[in-house]
Amino acid sequence: MTRQSPKVGVYGFTGCAGDQLMILNCEDQLVDLFGATEIRSFVMAKSDNHEGELDVAFIEGSISTEEQLKKLKEIRERAKVVIAIGTCASHGGPQAMKLGEGGWEERYRKVYGNAKITISKAFEAQPIDAFVKVDMYIPGCPIDKGEFLAAVSKLVAGRHPYLYKFPVCTECKWKENPCILYAGKFCGGPLTKAGCGAVCPSYGLPCVGCWGPTDDLNVSSEYKLLKEKGYNPDEILRKLRKFGGAKVAQLLKDVENKGAKA
Amino acid sequence: MILKMKKEDLSTFLDSVKEWGELRGPTKKEGRVTYSRVDSLSQMDLKAARTIIPPKKFLYPPRFTMFDYDQDGYTERLGDVPKRVLFGIHPCDIHGILIMDKLFLETYKDPYYAERREKTLLLGHSCIPDDKCMCIATNTDFVAEGFDLFFSDLKMFYLVWVGSTKGHDLIRLKPELFSRELDKNDILNYTEYRKWKNSQFKTKIDLTGMPDIFELGYGSPVWDQLGDKCLSCGQCTMVCPTCNCYNVVDEVELGALEGTRDRFWDSCMFREYSLVAGGHNFRDKRSDRLRLWYTHKLQAFIGEFGKPACVGCGRCVETCPVEINVVTVSTALKEQEVGK
Ligand code: SF4
Ligand code: SF4
Ligand code: SF4
Ligand code: SF4
Repeated sequence: MTRQSPKVGVYGFTGCAGDQLMILNCEDQLVDLFGATEIRSFVMAKSDNHEGELDVAFIEGSISTEEQLKKLKEIRERAKVVIAIGTCASHGGPQAMKLGEGGWEERYRKVYGNAKITISKAFEAQPIDAFVKVDMYIPGCPIDKGEFLAAVSKLVAGRHPYLYKFPVCTECKWKENPCILYAGKFCGGPLTKAGCGAVCPSYGLPCVGCWGPTDDLNVSSEYKLLKEKGYNPDEILRKLRKFGGAKVAQLLKDVENKGAKA
Repeated sequence: MILKMKKEDLSTFLDSVKEWGELRGPTKKEGRVTYSRVDSLSQMDLKAARTIIPPKKFLYPPRFTMFDYDQDGYTERLGDVPKRVLFGIHPCDIHGILIMDKLFLETYKDPYYAERREKTLLLGHSCIPDDKCMCIATNTDFVAEGFDLFFSDLKMFYLVWVGSTKGHDLIRLKPELFSRELDKNDILNYTEYRKWKNSQFKTKIDLTGMPDIFELGYGSPVWDQLGDKCLSCGQCTMVCPTCNCYNVVDEVELGALEGTRDRFWDSCMFREYSLVAGGHNFRDKRSDRLRLWYTHKLQAFIGEFGKPACVGCGRCVETCPVEINVVTVSTALKEQEVGK
């Protein structure tokens, strides 16, 4: 092949490092991955890292300090393509479930007490696209090996990666599961991007939405449906906001405002 | 040709058809009814009204590889399709397959579908309608073609319709189990069974005149009301025996020039489906997508093929979390009101 190996960087911010771990967990393809790309920086995997121009930067985790923000912007400047990996980088993750609700300082105090963090000023966790342009999202909590490798393989070949845009429900039907939501219980499948293979409903468990929201959401209908099924509004908000990020939060706000007017 | 078989002989017969191919039948595990691989009749549940996914999954799997490619060309992946005998297929699902046959085998023959269809025998079985079945309204409650064999359960024995030479070949595996001697009582029993089946339907819908009602209701606010409810989850499409749309994607090996071209089920309920180059979407609104789905089933298909693309299986009724289905949509359109 004549194509040059793309220069790649893998970075982690506020998250559990699960997505980076998942990359390292691609046992059978790991050698190919390191062969087909030139991994310039991947602190979790190796010690000699070189920060310079990048073709692709994979970024895990949400942004929650000034220092992270500075680094994120700096990566964006030297990377041709920025890809958010994992739901935290893509949508904020569970640490952003109260995004925009206020009271962040109070929650911070509950966790850290009055200890002063001196390294860097902290703020409420947000997805990376709140600060920089993101070219592509590979969500998941953690990401799916198959989805990640398929996307990387396409990038290496100079082609456009394709990820499912439809919701978990579609894969759930491919797995031939009876619908939990139809049965009157909570399931976040219709609001959640597919890619995980509908693992949770395949084990009889509701989808809690860990792949983050799809492009095409009908939050208001799901909200109404759950209310009809007897869930109380607080519980619905909590469930839908767990991995929903800013997007679902905003849509829920619209639902509430409409409800208040009606 | 119609033959007669003792009920207790079915098991022996099904053991013998495994000579032709792998046996598949309806099974029920933890409330999940699916067509699955089985070894014998004892593992099947012939009472279940419907499987979650219709038998289309065998002829056109949810996701499969069409061919492998490299820099020199491509190789079709057809040889690895197993020979299968599907037992227990209900009339609605056979009608569904007949519709798939029209779409995939006539004007443009789809080699992947054709290969699977060729290697699949359909052994139909009569059924007991439940509260969601409505095949009587779509005229698909009985079936006269499309199957290789069809078994009508008349309590003491089976009447067995032979629908193809392949079906006849199966009979020849155990000819001693079948009799050609049919008498007056068999006819009476069968007529009785038809009458009884017709009386079992609890979902009463009238689909006559639907093309006109769709035409009249094209701009009806009912579509917006339904669109507000629809979750765009795609379930209705996946479970419907006549939904046949797919997407195609190439996969590539990491750092190589070889890969596969895959095909997977798609749905016109998805925004992505009607997205075209340049970012324009000609069905951006959920209500437009929903209207397309139902217009296709109950109006456009009738115009083209003289029958609806709904076989009355009741799967949309048993799946849609917000109760959008053939019954509620046709009723809403007629009554100009979306029911609760
Ligand atoms: S169980 Fe959940 S994920 Fe599966 S179809 Fe129903 S709502 Fe969707
Ligand atoms: S089913 Fe939902 S919660 Fe479970 S892994 Fe998939 S996206 Fe996450
Ligand atoms: S529209 Fe509904 S009832 Fe009709 S064939 Fe499809 S799933 Fe069955
Ligand atoms: S009509 Fe029902 S099943 Fe179909 S996409 Fe809409 S919500 Fe899902």
